[in-house]
Amino acid sequence: MSRAGRSVVYWLILSPLVLIILFPFAVMISTAIRPRAEILVFPPVWLPKEIRLQNFVDMWQAVGFGQALVNSVIVSAGATALCLIVAIPAAYATSRMVFRGRRLFRQFLLVTQMLSPIVLVLGIFRLMVKMGLVDQLYALVLCYAAFNLAFAVWMLQAYFRTIPKELEEAAMLDGASTFQRLWMVFLPLAAPALGVTATFVFIYCWNEFVLALTLLRSNENFTLTFQIFSLVGGRYSIEWDNVMAATLLASVPVAIVFAKLQRYLVSGLALGAIK
Amino acid sequence: MCKVLGLLVGAAALAFTIASAQAKDEIRVVVGFYSAATQAIFEGMAKDFNAAHPDVDVKIEVVQWDNLQQRLTTDIAGGNPPDIALIGTRWLVDFVHNDIAEPLDGYITPEFKSRFIESFMAPSTINGKIYALPVAASARAMYYNKDLFAKAGIQNPPENWDQLVDDAKKIKALGADIYGFALQGKEIETDAYWYYSLWTHGGDLIEDGKSGVGSPGAIAGLQLYRDLIDQGLTEPEPTGYNRQDIERLFKQGRVGMILTGPWLRGQMKADAPALNYGIAQIPAGTRKATYGVTDSLMLFKSGKHNKLAWQFLDETAFSPKWRIEFTTKEGFLPVTKVEADAPVFTGDPQLKAFTDMLPYAHFAPPIPNWEQAADATIRALQQVYTKQVKPDAALKDAATSIDAILKQ
Amino acid sequence: MGSSRVDPIRGRRREAGQLVAPYILILPSLLLAFWIIGYPIWDLTDMSLHSVTRFGQLKEFSGLANFSHLIAEPLFLECLIRTLVWTFAVVGGTVLLSIPIALILADDFVGRRVLRVIIMLPWAVSLTMSGIVWRWALNGQSGMLNATLYDFGLMKQPITWLATADTAFPIEIAIGILVSIPFSVTVFLGGLSSLPREIFEAARIDGASGWQRWRFLTFPLIRPFINIVLVLNFIYVFNSFPLIWVMTQGDPANSTDILVTWLYKLAFRYGKLDIASALSIVMFLILLAFTVVYAVLAMRNEREAG
Repeated sequence: MSRAGRSVVYWLILSPLVLIILFPFAVMISTAIRPRAEILVFPPVWLPKEIRLQNFVDMWQAVGFGQALVNSVIVSAGATALCLIVAIPAAYATSRMVFRGRRLFRQFLLVTQMLSPIVLVLGIFRLMVKMGLVDQLYALVLCYAAFNLAFAVWMLQAYFRTIPKELEEAAMLDGASTFQRLWMVFLPLAAPALGVTATFVFIYCWNEFVLALTLLRSNENFTLTFQIFSLVGGRYSIEWDNVMAATLLASVPVAIVFAKLQRYLVSGLALGAIK
Repeated sequence: MCKVLGLLVGAAALAFTIASAQAKDEIRVVVGFYSAATQAIFEGMAKDFNAAHPDVDVKIEVVQWDNLQQRLTTDIAGGNPPDIALIGTRWLVDFVHNDIAEPLDGYITPEFKSRFIESFMAPSTINGKIYALPVAASARAMYYNKDLFAKAGIQNPPENWDQLVDDAKKIKALGADIYGFALQGKEIETDAYWYYSLWTHGGDLIEDGKSGVGSPGAIAGLQLYRDLIDQGLTEPEPTGYNRQDIERLFKQGRVGMILTGPWLRGQMKADAPALNYGIAQIPAGTRKATYGVTDSLMLFKSGKHNKLAWQFLDETAFSPKWRIEFTTKEGFLPVTKVEADAPVFTGDPQLKAFTDMLPYAHFAPPIPNWEQAADATIRALQQVYTKQVKPDAALKDAATSIDAILKQ
Repeated sequence: MGSSRVDPIRGRRREAGQLVAPYILILPSLLLAFWIIGYPIWDLTDMSLHSVTRFGQLKEFSGLANFSHLIAEPLFLECLIRTLVWTFAVVGGTVLLSIPIALILADDFVGRRVLRVIIMLPWAVSLTMSGIVWRWALNGQSGMLNATLYDFGLMKQPITWLATADTAFPIEIAIGILVSIPFSVTVFLGGLSSLPREIFEAARIDGASGWQRWRFLTFPLIRPFINIVLVLNFIYVFNSFPLIWVMTQGDPANSTDILVTWLYKLAFRYGKLDIASALSIVMFLILLAFTVVYAVLAMRNEREAG
């Protein structure tokens, strides 16, 4: 089938899913751009009589969007970096080397994922109090990195094993040091796995709420998800225009990150180049 | 080398003096979120107090009500409780039983006590001792849509349940999307919505130390709601509607009558300014009743700055200036006498409906494990609203569960 | 094994180095995991064996009493069964949908980049917010879903979707699948990109059909990634709190409660931290049992089983 033909078929097959996915975003946009008086209108309509882009500005100030955005970026990027830095060596070891306790290590990491964060919250808080890290963004970075280790190690390790050893050995014979091998041969080949892992950890941190609620106290430290949720939880009256506007804007950085990282999810390109 | 060392020492000394100069006593206050004004009000209080006491720094943290209990639990469990906390007074019993709340009798002077309206002090008095101070009070009343009433030809709001049923039928006849009586069937305070009916039919939550939800009055009260649903006089499928959902229906002008608290007035001004509504007393059954709810400020036994925290409460939080500010902005009922006498309240006719109901106010009983009991009740209510179980069976089950809970 | 070097001392040191190297490499991750998660796990176990006040203060040792109280609760079995239904439905639906979607997205076609970003969009919004937006859209009276279906003539009477478990639970499952697809598709795409193109070319030249290529080449090669998706999704969905909580809070009358929403009520509403801890441990044991069984059955073929 031609490329064009394939494209049509694929889009057709996935169109119901695309509709369902876009539906909540359409709802968000529709609510975010209307003036408050039109939110309660009945029967509900898609297009409001008046479009009020000022809502986004109002929301930005009401939520403290700028500061929260910065906090979220710091925490998410920091935790992603930390998680990768810690996970890459571990994944390398479990994929390339045989050692006693390898299986146990993997099972242990998996175990750390299995407990619901809801009850771990108390213990984590007590831990952070002991370390004096309450209301510090570093505490979140540490926690998020730790909670994502299992996935990171597993994903990286599964991918690393598909990279043929011969390539590294060839580089070794060429005189490259271990570090050079790792940096210039191995990691570029592992780009898709790094991309997936980084995406996953970043998104997890960006959207996480329970730990942020437990560990953060001052307004200037709150992350974006926290601030958005404050607009909704336990209020007498919810300002839906703010909520939808904030949610929309908060999803933009993630969409950007994903658009950039999905480039690495290409099949066989890197390997082909080396050959 | 020496120069560098000297510089370092100097810098360290400077940093140390700066740090110790800033080492003020810190008072942490955790409050629940009522509206966009809450943060500003408490920050204002903090500013006043900080100005009067330069060696103290009052820090305010505003937490969503949904998360407040969880937050306080975590803080206390971690050994890091705040100095002052705003709580729903119904939670106080657990705090007292677990020896967390600081008894306040030792701080309260007769002058201080005289500032308050007596009936509001009662919920925070446990075993004869005062453990918290009321800050926000609400009673409930009935809001009704005057335009719908006029269209349906109803002159006055109903005074008892029979009249309510008649009025609801007339309003329902006005159109397919219009409902007579709003009924909340989902989430927090679903039980409270039924308590209005329970109490006005002569029932009580606790009778002789046991649960009263299985009593004849209770069953009659629930049967009334079930009949309302069956006759289509409420919005369809009430278990899909939480408090905000039914309030939204009212703001949209699609519901004739709704039972709720003073906060709706502020919302109506903002969200539905053109809607013509009135406030009346909750319809009576065998007697009149309403639900009184207070939120209170408490101190912690493990707090390290309780004297200072008390000063904050005495001088600032419960000063006439800030009491009036708080109650006006947040739309609650006055808890201190000076508020009740303030012109802004005495001149408010709508408030009269609420304050007139105060003598008939019932409060949540001071039992431990209140949440569990409430959930058992909500479960029974939802089973009845979804027509899975009959009122008497559901309530008898709930009563048994609650009795077990009470014994714990 | 590396070829032996001329210098025997260096050779021995290298061997020793090779023995120690893996442990040094996994040390940071062990430390991080133990430090951050180990303490809370111990704390949790401690609480489950004692009677605990509402505020986390341990009272007397109670052995396994919390566990027996827990199992005796009628809600426990109810929630357990519902949790299993929820988990299998969401994970099953997710994997069954994600594999074909990933296969499509891995292929080259017009607008692939756009479609990839669209499929990932549910991931860009936190679970809590997704729940909130969907709840808003599903509102019986003012929800856009009912309005749209009504406008298209697909509906006569508005349905209050979240009012009863009969409609609410399937919807929650559907939305659960919707928000799990992005993660699974991404993992599969990552896995698919590890497959060398040459073997597919060779197979096509040899005359293998699409289905044969899938069954004998693609599927076995992405098996490790399917394992990741299945196991991790199972764990995440089993413990998934925000969606159901935001949409129905497990009600009406506990009819949409799964173990983790009930756990939240036990811990933070009723203050029963001891029973809640016991429940967490039980949930953990269930998950552990699952992964062990799965590892034995399905991952046997992986060279590094478990």
